[in-house]
Parts: sequence; structure tokens; C-alpha cells
Amino acid sequence: MRVTASGWIAIAGLALATVPFFKPPAFYETFLYLVFYWIVLATSWNILSGYSGYFSFGHGAFFGAGMYTTATLSGRYDWAFLWTLPAAALVAALFGTAIGAVVFRVGRLRGELFALLTLAVTFVLATVVLNTRIDGGQGVNLGGVALPAIGPTPSATFYFLALALTVITLWTARGIYQARLGTGLFAIHDDEDVAEVLGVPTLRYKLVAFGVSCALAGVAGGIHAMFVSYVTVGETFSIIVPLTVVLMSVLGGTRHWLGPTVGATIITGLVYAFTAGDYAIAGRAAVGLILVVVILFMPNGVLGRFAGRSRTPTRAPDANRTAPAAARSTAPAQTRQQRQGEILLDARGVSKAFRGVQALDRVDLQVRRGEILGLVGPNGSGKSTMINVVSGHFLLDSGRIAFGDREVSGMAAHRIAHAGIARTYQIPRPLAHMNVLENVALPAMFGRNSLGRIDAEREARDWLEFTGLAGKADALPDDLNLHQRKFLELARALASRPSLLFLDEVLSGLTPSEIDNAIATIRAIRDQGATIVFVEHVMRAVMELADRIVVLNYGRVIAEGLPQDVMQRPEVVTAYLGKPHA
Amino acid sequence: MKLATRIIAALGAAALSLGLAQAAPSGAPVRIGSTLALTGPLSGTAIIHKIVGEIYVDDLNKRDGLLGRPVEWILKDDQSKPELARTLYEQLITVDKVDLIIGPYATPNIIAAMGVAQRYNRVLIHHTMGIPSLAKYDMQFPAWSVGPNPETTVPNTLFDALAASAKPPKTIAIVTSKFPSVYFMSVGAREVAKKRGLQEVLFLEWEFGNKDFGPIANRVKDAKPDFVFVGAIGLEGNQLLEAMKKIDYVPPMHYYMYPAPGPLAKLPEAQGALAASIFEQHPPFTNNPIAAQFVKEYNARAAKAGLPDNSVETQAAASFSTWQVLEAAVTATKSLDDKVLAAWLKQNQVDTIQGRLRFDRANNYGDDLMRVKQVQNGHWVTVWPKEWAAPGAKLITP
Repeated sequence: MRVTASGWIAIAGLALATVPFFKPPAFYETFLYLVFYWIVLATSWNILSGYSGYFSFGHGAFFGAGMYTTATLSGRYDWAFLWTLPAAALVAALFGTAIGAVVFRVGRLRGELFALLTLAVTFVLATVVLNTRIDGGQGVNLGGVALPAIGPTPSATFYFLALALTVITLWTARGIYQARLGTGLFAIHDDEDVAEVLGVPTLRYKLVAFGVSCALAGVAGGIHAMFVSYVTVGETFSIIVPLTVVLMSVLGGTRHWLGPTVGATIITGLVYAFTAGDYAIAGRAAVGLILVVVILFMPNGVLGRFAGRSRTPTRAPDANRTAPAAARSTAPAQTRQQRQGEILLDARGVSKAFRGVQALDRVDLQVRRGEILGLVGPNGSGKSTMINVVSGHFLLDSGRIAFGDREVSGMAAHRIAHAGIARTYQIPRPLAHMNVLENVALPAMFGRNSLGRIDAEREARDWLEFTGLAGKADALPDDLNLHQRKFLELARALASRPSLLFLDEVLSGLTPSEIDNAIATIRAIRDQGATIVFVEHVMRAVMELADRIVVLNYGRVIAEGLPQDVMQRPEVVTAYLGKPHA
Repeated sequence: MKLATRIIAALGAAALSLGLAQAAPSGAPVRIGSTLALTGPLSGTAIIHKIVGEIYVDDLNKRDGLLGRPVEWILKDDQSKPELARTLYEQLITVDKVDLIIGPYATPNIIAAMGVAQRYNRVLIHHTMGIPSLAKYDMQFPAWSVGPNPETTVPNTLFDALAASAKPPKTIAIVTSKFPSVYFMSVGAREVAKKRGLQEVLFLEWEFGNKDFGPIANRVKDAKPDFVFVGAIGLEGNQLLEAMKKIDYVPPMHYYMYPAPGPLAKLPEAQGALAASIFEQHPPFTNNPIAAQFVKEYNARAAKAGLPDNSVETQAAASFSTWQVLEAAVTATKSLDDKVLAAWLKQNQVDTIQGRLRFDRANNYGDDLMRVKQVQNGHWVTVWPKEWAAPGAKLITP
């Protein structure tokens, strides 16, 4: 019988739960309590910051919110200690989610700005706590609060509480890691805009991750308040807490659910290995040196080095599946033919300006089901902007866009993806830390069909076969050449089984033979019934593939019709070649 | 009996300290465990306690040790973290199995250690607990004798000194850090000042760690107080005085709660600054031969350790007193049993270099032995009460 990771966590938890019954010296229980405590803090931090890349320096604030919730409820209002712990989780989670609801909507608050903002939140909360009755300046003493006798001794009680929270935390971290939420968070980590366009509900996922992260930190804080028994602002909201959890997570590996556990265990062990009073400063220096050396030689953390990078268990393609996914259409052939020619996308009066530059000016664009529409025009004419507006990457300034019978203008990008619109990027934007298979499986999970992980990977393998990338399934995007990266974009767009596919200059930079290959591939896609909007400068491909052409210039539609007719019109020639000056 | 015990303990310690009765200790060592904040933000002060402990243990072993056995001090670094202090005390008791423990440095760490001591019924003698009301364990004993209500008694001593000066203040400005043990005293001083009829013209708080004292200095200047009570810890007093200097303001009379004594005394603007103290290295404190010997030894070792200020004052004296209390209890009871030691301490008084300590009031606190000292020509001198004033010294007013 194969034991899952969650099973191993439970087995380890049960095994560790027997420790107090062997009656070891209490120091070992307390030492292990601190190991568990740091595991919970580091792992909870990692759920948001490691998985999604939103590096937080505010974990001390959420930990502190839990600490002061317990301190206030038990110290001032005589709540039973255990009842304060759910409250600590709730307060910390609500606090974090409220901050996230504001911060996560502001796109520029990423990276170092998010880190600084969360650090500032810590200082603000510390100031509020210090200057109100919550603390008032003299700290909160919990010496008189009764500790429930969960274990045979007080040390064992703290041990059991921390162990239980650690098991819950690891189950949670592992569950999120394996679930759609984890996949979405890792996509956000690599490229949030792309993740959203591929169908990941980024705002919701970040809020959920933040809430869970804060709740776990809050409970840890609540338990720790009783452990130290005297809670002060200076100790609670110290920069030491976030710095330590960051260090632990980075040391263990932020891209693995178990990484912070490894880091927390190593660092806590090192701290206790060097507490001798005779060589205190040398001991601390030795700890620092060890950490520097480890991080220097293992920049991706211990588990990044030894556990490999594959985040998900994958299965080989089903041997019985002989028909590639590309041969399967998204709708029955007869229905498709009956609906051929109806308007699938209807954009009316679409305008978009950037700081005074009118990128799109009252553009009307209709795309008919089953056609390949060539969207052409000189550089800067608004082609890519049109794709960005339709796919939800940019909000339009005015106009409306209907897709099928749904209004999609103003809709979040991930909902547009769910509706069945997919796109490629002119400059490939693969998710850098996911391998090729994971890149392609992602839209299958989050796109229109919302497949489970196993089915999504099977679907992805089919599309990799179709685009000739099957042999690169385990490679990272950085290992691909330009041609392969372009086809990775294509495979990723196709894996969501879109009704409408925008191809943004997929042929640029390719050699003539690669272009021939790509043309054949695109034609094969169309033959399965997909509708394609084809933005391209390679006119040979446009003329070969497009059923109709729309020409944009300075953000306006200047011509539309059959390829041969449109490309000969004087205004189109002028747009491309300029006016003749005799 | 009490008196006899006290005298025997005091004379014995003095005689031993002076090297009059020497017998090499033998047998298994008496192991005494403690932690100090040897690294981290509190390490600058904790090093004082390390030096004092080493001096005392060396001296004990030169004499007859404890109960004729050599003394071994198991010292661990709690890195200025209460949770580490707690865990290390558990290690000292349950793994290292030390015979006795003494307290760490700083209130949060002492409270963390106190919880462990309570669980294992161990006596905990400590030296720097700033908030007596938090010390609820009946086998803890404070060697820094500030009394059970220092937030009242210390300001009263201060205001007594001011009232007896040539220019008693009528108005007061209280500005304070929100560092717990300091804030506790400042809030108390505010109440006492009100009861004594001093008019409060300003009350201001800042968060510990504040670096910008300009606005605070301006507010004090505008309030024109006769006396400024500064709830400062560490270098905050220096920073405030430097900010005052920039706006050409000199406070008429000013007091600092827990300043870094060396740096404040050396600051020219601190001339006349007042502070609390239990010990200064001048007569009458140094009339005690044990104190004189300790001052000499400490001055040398502190200089060798590169400390910025080599003088013995509150921290070093409280630390030395801790060891004196422990030695007196063990010597008098001829026991290492914690309950026996605790019972003896509750019944008896111990002479230390800061004065006579007793532990029979609330939370085992005794008398408030805090005195008032003043910076005079770059040196701290005790000015109040008169019986503890340095020879010829009196409180200087502007």
C-alpha cells in the first residue's frame, strides 16, 4: 500500500505524540515545541510568499495579532485559553485578508513594494497596540491564566498543542501545494498577468492564501503568548520574526511544501547548538557562517537541491489513447458546421488610450465562428492592444465586446479565459519555474474545461505531441530555443480548448522552414473547428492562412475583406509603405 | 536568631572575601545555572552581569566555595529572547541538572525563567526585574531592592530630594518611552507628582526605538517646566539632550529613569542630570570592604573586557547582590534544597553592597533602596538621601 505524503505527516505526528509518554527531560519537549513553532510560522509564511512570490515582511504582524488576541481575551476577559485560539486565527485572518483586499488590487504593489508595505503594516499595528488599552505600554502578563492539562506536564501541553498545529499546517501546506490553488499560486509567482489570462483567479487565490497563512500564524501566536507568559510590543512585533521565517523558508526551499520545515529544523537546531555562555558571540557567528555557506551552495534551498523541481506527480500518456487531442474537436462536427459563419466575437466602438496615445480608436471588429481572421497593420497600429483588451489584460476605455451571447468587456481576464478565449504572446511569456508540461497543463486546469490535474496533464501531453514538444515535456522554458518557445505558447493556448484563439505574431523570428511547419500546424488547428485571429507581419503566412483580413492603422480599422482584395487597396499600401512623393 | 544569622552571614562573607579564611574547596562542584543575553539587543548591559558573575565565582572558589565544594557556573546565552531563556532554564534544570539557578537579565526574560522555576519548585534570585507586580512566584527573590511599589516609592524619593533642594520645582513635564518597565515608572511618577501638588505642564510618550527627539525637545521647551522627568532607557536621554541643545534649550532640572550611565555622565549637556541608583563607587558605599574590593576588581575586568564605562553602579551592584544573597542562604542553611533556601530567605535579611535586603513584603520584595544621583562635573555622585550622599555632595540646582 502506497502511503501518501499526508499519510506520512499523520504517521510522523502520531509517532511524535508518544514522546511525552517516555517522560524525557522537559527541555526536549520545549525544544521540540520551538521547532514546531518555527515550522508553523515558516510554513504559513511560505503558503503566500513562497508559493505566490508575494514576499511578505509582515508575518510578525499576523503572528502578533494572534498573540495579542489571546493575551487580551484570556488576560483581560478571562476566556479559557483554548477558546482564544480560534479567535486568534480569525482575527489574524481577517486582518490579513482586509489588507490583501486592498493591496492585491493595486498591480504595482508587488515585489519589494509589497515587502515594504507589509513591514509598514507591522509597525502600524505595533503602534496601535502600544498606544491603546490592548497593551498600553506595560505589556500583558499571562502568569495567572490557567493552562489546560492536555499533557502530563505543562511542557507536554505546549508540545501537544504545537505538534497538532504543525500537523494541521503541514496538511494545509501540502494540500494547497497539490491543489489547483497551489498550481495557481505558483503561476502567479512566475507571471501574474499571464496566470490571470490563462484562467487563474489571481485575486481570489492570493486572498485565500493570505487568509490561511495569517490564520495559522495567528494560532501560533496565541499559543506562544501563553508560552512566554509576558507579552510585550517590542518582543512581539520585532523584525526578528519575519527575518527568521524568511531565512528558514529560503534555506529549506520555498518551492516545496516541506522546505520551511527543513529550514526551521536546521536553524532551530543550530541556535541551540551554540548557546554556551563562554563563546556566545563566536557561536552566533558560526551559525551565520553556516547559513551563508548553505545558501551560497544551495540557492534554491535544501529541498530545491535534493528533492528535484517537479511539483506534481505525473503519469505517462495513456497507451490506449491513440487519437491525439488535436484530432478531437471541442464540439460535434455537425453542430460546428451548422454554426459556421455566425459571429463569435463582436467588438463595437472599442477605444483604448495610454497617456494621451490613442492605441485603439472606436474599433469595430467581428470574428466569425470557424474562420481565420488576419489582423494586420504596421507596428504600433493597435493589433496587440486589441488582443490585450479582448483577453482582459487591459480594461477598455469605451465600447463593448460580446463573445457569443456574453458581454465580456470589463470582465476579469480569468473569466474571459473561462468563457473560451485564449491567446499567445508576441514575446513568449512562459512560466519560468514550471516545466513545459506544467506550463501547458495549467490552462487545461484553469481554462474553459477546468480539468483535474491528471486529465490536464494528459491533455497537455497531447498538445505537446501536436506541437512537436513531447520530447521537451520535462524541460524548463529556459532550455528551449525561440521556435520551441513560440510553440510552447501555442500549445498552452490550445490546451484550454478555446473557442477563439488569438495568435500574436507566432511566426516572427522563425526560419522559413519553421514558418512552413507553423502554417501547417495552424491550418490543422483550424481544421478542427477552432476560430483564430491571426496577428502577423509575415504576409506570406497571412495570405495563405487568412479567410478574411482586417487592417488597423493608428488604432483605426482602415480596411477589411478578402486577403487579395484588401492588400491591394491604396490606403493599405500607403499604411505599410507610406505615401509616394514624386 | 535573625540578627545572629545576618551578622554571621555578613561577617563570614566579608572575612572570606578579604582572604582571611582560606580552605581549598573539594568534592563535586555545586553547579549554578543561568542565562544572560550575551548576544542580541540586550547584550550591551548583560555583559556587566557576566563579568560580575565571573568575579564572584572566582572569589568563591578562592575561598571555600559553597559548602566546601567548588562552584561551577553554567552560563548560557539566551540571545535576548524570552522563549530561549525559558527553554534554556528547562535545559539547565532537566538536562544539565544544576543544583541552583539564578536569574537572567531583563524583565521579560526573568518572567520567562520564573515560569520554569515555578514548575520545578526552584528558588530564583534575580537582579533586574523592573515590574514587581509581575513577580507572582513565591520562591523568587529580587536582589535589586526597589520595594514592591517602585512606581510610587522611587518618584517619592526623587521629589523628596527636589523638595529639599535650594529651588523646589513647582511645575513638571513628564516625557517617556513606552518601554514597559520605564513606562510603568513614568505613569507612577505622574500620579505621585499630582498628589504632591506639582503642576503637570506636559505629558508626552514616544515608542521605544524612536530616533527623532526634535519635536519632543520643542514641546518641552514650549511648556517651560521647572523640572523634566524623562522616562528614558539606554541612550534615549542622550538623544533628547542633544535635540534640546540644537534648539538652545537647557532644562532647569532633569531626571532620567534608566539611562546608560557612562554616556550620559560624559555628555556636557547632562551636567546636573538626576537618576536613580542603588550603588555608586564612592563612600559611603565603598566603606564596605567587600564593596571596595569588588569595585577594584570590577574596574579592572571591565576595562580588560573593553566596556565603555568601567564604573560599578546599579546593574553591577544588583548582580553582585544576587550572588551575595545566594551565598548567604546556602551558607546559613548549609543546604542546596530550594525549599529550605526559600524558607530561610523569607525569614532573614541579607547584607549586600547595596544595603540590607529583606524579602517579606508583597511578592517577596522588601525595602526600596533606590537613591538619587546627579551628574556633577562628568561624574555620578549620590546626592540623596543625605546619609548615602558622596562626601560633601549635595543636589545642585540651577
